Amino acid sequence: MTSIGLGSCVAVILYDPRNRIGAVAHVMLPESGGKCDRPGKYADTAIPLLMNEMIQNGSVRRSLVAKIAGGSSMFQNFSGNLNIGDRNVAAIRQILESFGIPLVAEDTGGTVGRSIQFFPLEGGGVRVRRADGTCTEI
Amino acid sequence: MKLTEQQLDALKELGNIGASHAASSLSVMLSSAVDMTVPEVELVDISDLAEIFRDEIAALVIFEIQGEIAQGGYLALFMPRESAIRLTNTMLGMTEMDREITEMDESALLEVGNIMMSQFLDATATLLNIVMLPSPPDVAIDMAHAMLQTVIAQVASDINKVILFRTELLCSEHEVNGSILLLPRPPMLQEVLSLLEKLMSGGI
Repeated sequence: MTSIGLGSCVAVILYDPRNRIGAVAHVMLPESGGKCDRPGKYADTAIPLLMNEMIQNGSVRRSLVAKIAGGSSMFQNFSGNLNIGDRNVAAIRQILESFGIPLVAEDTGGTVGRSIQFFPLEGGGVRVRRADGTCTEI
Repeated sequence: MKLTEQQLDALKELGNIGASHAASSLSVMLSSAVDMTVPEVELVDISDLAEIFRDEIAALVIFEIQGEIAQGGYLALFMPRESAIRLTNTMLGMTEMDREITEMDESALLEVGNIMMSQFLDATATLLNIVMLPSPPDVAIDMAHAMLQTVIAQVASDINKVILFRTELLCSEHEVNGSILLLPRPPMLQEVLSLLEKLMSGGI
């Protein structure tokens, strides 16, 4: 599974190591404000959506772990518009915690974009490629 | 959000006027001919953005549109990495292509972008008879999708489709190409559409 060109967006990856099922959401904004037409877009609706789909596919909540990548801040001079990347990461952390899902790895913040590849069948590794050319595995 | 054929045409024409002013200012700066394509106006679903802009490295100079319209939106100059390097090289009389992008490129892009986008906004605002000014610019050199998505996150909190106005500019002599992107927030789009409608019904 891949998610390319994450800027202020955050890829939220849920993984169940027992049955090697995984799910990814590309979260754009922290709060849905009650909108439910596009649940994957907002942190507060995307995480329950991923959880439910995984549970429907045979996972149990207590065996889920999470990894996140993204949430960078590319236009420093436009910080007046609030830092959506940081807000996304903060919202995701808080929501994961409220569901008791441990955040086992992350590559977030900074000023560069990222693309990720997620390998649920091979142990749930996530390869992160950053815009500056560096790669990392989380 | 849906736009009629007539609205799309009016937006294209508006963009055409803005882009041709921007293109001629680029032409002056590069002292050579700059061609432009007929503008495209499309409604793009935010989940399809990755089909248009992928994770190749490019430069994006962005401006927030300020002035009479509250919560205007963004105007951007998008340039593939190689073009950005050629642009700086051309302006500074250099030839080295196989180099990293540096602060020098960023400054050149900010300057060129600033002049071009001011021209674009000036021409469109004059036509609409309103005041539109670009904010001080910011530039990033990063993955195309990551940059665009970061800007779109600012305008798309309540909508799932953004209007993407795109004109390609091409300077064949120096192999520099780029696109002008206009990302209005919904209130600005509405305002511009109603001004355009008035303009057309006035027989202009």
